[in-house]
Amino acid sequence: MSGLQNNMLSHKKQLIFLCTLAVMTATMVVLQAYFLAAIVEAIFVQEQTFSAITLMFAGLAAVLLLRTAFTYFGRRTGIMVAANSKATYRRGLLDKFADESVLQAAQGQSGGKISILLDAVDEMDSYFSEYIPQLIQASIIPVVILAVAFTQHVNTGLIMIITAPFIPLFMIIIGMQTKAKSEEQQEKLTAFSGQFLDALQGLTTLKLYRQARAQKKAIETSSLGFRDATMEILQIAFTSSFMLELISMLSIGIVALELAIQLIIYEQVSFFTAFFLLMLAPEFYATLKQLGSTFHSGQSSKGAATKVVKELTKDTDPLIWGDLELPAAAIPPAIELQNACYHYAERQFSLENINAVIPPYGDIAIVGRSGSGKSTLLHLIAGLLPLKEGNITVNDHSLGAYNKHSWFGQLSYISQHPYLFSGTIAENIAMGSTLDHTREEIEQAAEQAGIADVINQLDQGYDTPVGEAGRGLSGGEMQRLALARAFLKKPSIILFDEPTTALDLYTERILYASIRQLAQQATIITVAHRLYTIKDADTILFLESGKLLASGTHAELIRNVPEYRNMVLANDGGENNA
Amino acid sequence: MHDFAIIVKAMATEKKDILLSILFGFTAGITAVGLFAASGYLISKAALTPPLYSLIILTSTVKLLGITKAIARYAERYFSHRATFTILSNLRVSLFQKMVPMVPRLFQKYRSGDLLSRVVGDVETLQNFFLRVFYPPIVVTIVFLSTILFTSFFSISIALILLIGMLLTVVGIPALFAWRQKKIDHDVRNQRSSLSVQTAEFLNGFRDLTIHQKVEATKQNLIQSSNAYIREQKRESLNKLYSESVNTFLSLLVTWSVLAIGSFLISSGQLEGIFLAMFVLISLTVFEDAGPMAALPVHLQDSKHAATRLTKVTAETSHTTDRQTDAIRLTHARPITAQVRGVSFTFPGEKRQALKNVDITFPASSKTAIVGPSGSGKSTLFMLLLGLYHADTGTITLDDTPMDQIDLDSIWEHTAVMLQENHFFYGTIRDNLILAKDGLTDTEMTEILRKVNLDHFTLDDPVHEKGDNLSGGEKQRLALARAMLKNAHLWLLDEPASSVDPLTEQSIYRHLFKQAANDTLVIVTHRLTNLEKMDQIIVMDHGNVVEIGSFNELMQQKGYLYEMKQIEKNLL
Repeated sequence: MSGLQNNMLSHKKQLIFLCTLAVMTATMVVLQAYFLAAIVEAIFVQEQTFSAITLMFAGLAAVLLLRTAFTYFGRRTGIMVAANSKATYRRGLLDKFADESVLQAAQGQSGGKISILLDAVDEMDSYFSEYIPQLIQASIIPVVILAVAFTQHVNTGLIMIITAPFIPLFMIIIGMQTKAKSEEQQEKLTAFSGQFLDALQGLTTLKLYRQARAQKKAIETSSLGFRDATMEILQIAFTSSFMLELISMLSIGIVALELAIQLIIYEQVSFFTAFFLLMLAPEFYATLKQLGSTFHSGQSSKGAATKVVKELTKDTDPLIWGDLELPAAAIPPAIELQNACYHYAERQFSLENINAVIPPYGDIAIVGRSGSGKSTLLHLIAGLLPLKEGNITVNDHSLGAYNKHSWFGQLSYISQHPYLFSGTIAENIAMGSTLDHTREEIEQAAEQAGIADVINQLDQGYDTPVGEAGRGLSGGEMQRLALARAFLKKPSIILFDEPTTALDLYTERILYASIRQLAQQATIITVAHRLYTIKDADTILFLESGKLLASGTHAELIRNVPEYRNMVLANDGGENNA
Repeated sequence: MHDFAIIVKAMATEKKDILLSILFGFTAGITAVGLFAASGYLISKAALTPPLYSLIILTSTVKLLGITKAIARYAERYFSHRATFTILSNLRVSLFQKMVPMVPRLFQKYRSGDLLSRVVGDVETLQNFFLRVFYPPIVVTIVFLSTILFTSFFSISIALILLIGMLLTVVGIPALFAWRQKKIDHDVRNQRSSLSVQTAEFLNGFRDLTIHQKVEATKQNLIQSSNAYIREQKRESLNKLYSESVNTFLSLLVTWSVLAIGSFLISSGQLEGIFLAMFVLISLTVFEDAGPMAALPVHLQDSKHAATRLTKVTAETSHTTDRQTDAIRLTHARPITAQVRGVSFTFPGEKRQALKNVDITFPASSKTAIVGPSGSGKSTLFMLLLGLYHADTGTITLDDTPMDQIDLDSIWEHTAVMLQENHFFYGTIRDNLILAKDGLTDTEMTEILRKVNLDHFTLDDPVHEKGDNLSGGEKQRLALARAMLKNAHLWLLDEPASSVDPLTEQSIYRHLFKQAANDTLVIVTHRLTNLEKMDQIIVMDHGNVVEIGSFNELMQQKGYLYEMKQIEKNLL
């Protein structure tokens, strides 16, 4: 919440401007009433001619124009501040998201983050564009009116000052009631409001189980239940407006009555004073009432702000990079893991003390049961997760000392679910590399990855736009597209997260052949799920519960490590379990 | 109004509340005018030192009007909100009814899951239609006209000024604003959805962006999109502010003119001076309600978009309805023979065929497994067998009756189905099982839970939205339990036990085969286990049937299945 106030304070110039405008608006409010009263008095009481008061009409017109203009500029300022603040907050959030390591980006349900970036930031708008300007107005205008009232007729001023506190008081009392009531009803409300969506999502199931009719009844019941629960809360709000209206109405009535009595019985005040004050009174109470409604919208934008600020102050674990260049040498770099550790903040799991040497052109397989830390290890080697302890060296320098661009420039990561971005197929293949590539090179890469035939069948070929996350492509085709990226990039290190399930036979064969071909020029580290990959590997890193249980060739591990033997043999036996 | 047919229809039953809202809205508006008119008259009268009793009458009138106004306002709010929520309820029910025959084709067409949340959101948006678009202009107009009528008894010219003012502030300015708003609104929506899509890509593709060193560039793009979006929003707010300001100024100008004309009339002796203050206060008050009219176009626009989208979603009903009358019902409670002959199918809006000239026979009481990699068309075939989609070419028959002559409801009645994605409702395990069949007892349901190895649950255990508190394997087994409870003789099961360990799978299959011993059973699976139990195995790839035969035949043939089996053996 302090975030919002700080942001507002950083717009000092605008704040001063708003305050000045409020004072000027207040002046116009008073002048408006003054001119109206003066004109009516001139015509009605003094029975002057119309021509005698033309100047006053001109003055009134000017006041009305200025009053509108001041209000306009005040709210305009609010809108500008809101736009600036939203831009600042959104940029801050994006910086935050971009700084996060891969893991944190993946674990924070992207839906929630999108909603913070879009909805929550949008909701903050009304704080700057409405709440603050009106708060300033509401704290200045009534004071000015009150001051004027005291100078004109003390009794009116006294009535105002006595009745005014009832308005905020009632607002607070009723606000608290509403809050309690809505908290009490909240669970009901959530359950009701979710039911319609739930029913729509389950339509196919409902239909196949022939329950649609029963469900229709349920929707009606819950919709009406929602109505009744909401009405209960709303009724409090309506009562509150009722009371506020009554208070202001009664107060104005008292002001008017007192003025009338003074006017007739004691003949203490002039008609002008009475009419002037009678017109100021509603303005006085209206501003106070307005504050109440603004207060509500201010509250909800404060809630949104809390969410945004919480996201902004969340701990991140950014990766640190240096400026050492990793030369694009003919030979891939040597990689060494020295007591590499990683642990997650929220989860029990940790990866501990991993030691391994990965020579140039090495063929490394990471093997282990699901949850043993294979992907985490691959992410650590890739430089996608920050090391907690230990070291990873590349050509005898620690990985973090290298320039980020030169490291990723030599790396390809072929994941189980490659992400395709909106853009054409050609752009998606070319994004693997920072260099500019000719269409021929792109087509050649697609050819090598066995995806060229599929692309050529499409109406627009390589210029076919890929939908969100590669809609319309099968899993196997997406895998091959990722391979094409690697063929184009010609990396010296390949990280390969082998698919856990079988793909179509064609993709399986292409995948195997392509990886062999790419490996001729590169070091390859695979999270392996296929026996042949493991048997081919120079070194197997066998993980169990985040620990490196053993490393060596397949034959060595089969011979020496019972856990490894069990895992591999259990699989071989799996087919006979029928 | 054509755009709003969908919501107007939902309003039809709430005539009483609607009338009450308008009635009390009018009472509140007109008493406010009366209140200020009376106080203006009161203060003027007081200046002429009249007898006290007339003042007392006047003050009591003011008080009475004040209280009436507050009460009427309360009643207006109460009835209008009650009407709104009832209308929304009607709308939900009618939408649901319309959408029932359209699933799952509808889901396929707008594949993204946000179609449904959009429907829900659009219904919510429409609450503004009645509350802010429909009845307030009616109330404001009646209040205006009554006030003008009252004024005309005193002075025709003042009444005319008020009328012109009303036309400008209630009709003219809002219309002008609506026209300017149209273009902006369109841009705001586009900018917002583009920002939302880009953000989703940024977050979901973060790893690939990092490795391909595109994080910074993408972030800069996002910042630009965000700024463009904010710019449009700002334009929208400024446009609204501008219209409101013009409207306010016009109302004030009307009061100014009323004062000027009134003064002129009085000084020339055509009107009594005592009414001047009253007219000024009337004019100030009556235009107070005209101010919000400037913002009406925003709500009108939103409601229109929402209504149009909802209409579009449900518009296709007419030509995609399930056949109802004169269709043949599948009646026999015995195993069904299903035949697929030369069936090809393409999902609406897609180019590639999902099924290509498929021929399969599922004899009565036979056990079939359909295997193949993901995207090969296995699940699509199920959808066609259930009549959820219609084949583009070729025919599907159930017991020799072509699909398009069968009442679909009767197919579902006699089929135990488990789809790839099964929905679970918010509630309890019992709620989710009991919809399988009428008259299920707790004992039956508990027994089924045991058979699918879900006996760690009781029937009263909670199920969260979409079954979010269940693991993938638990969801699978719960869906299977639901299908088993149905006691049907045609089984269509998509991956009934793929996410459980082999031992559990064994035990589940044992129960399943026992119960379905005499039934026609079709199982889709990508895991190549338990295939020996099947009478036939159908291997699919890219929409084609590549092999059909028993497990032993196909293994000896050393074709596609054999190779897939080799890969599976190699999988850890």
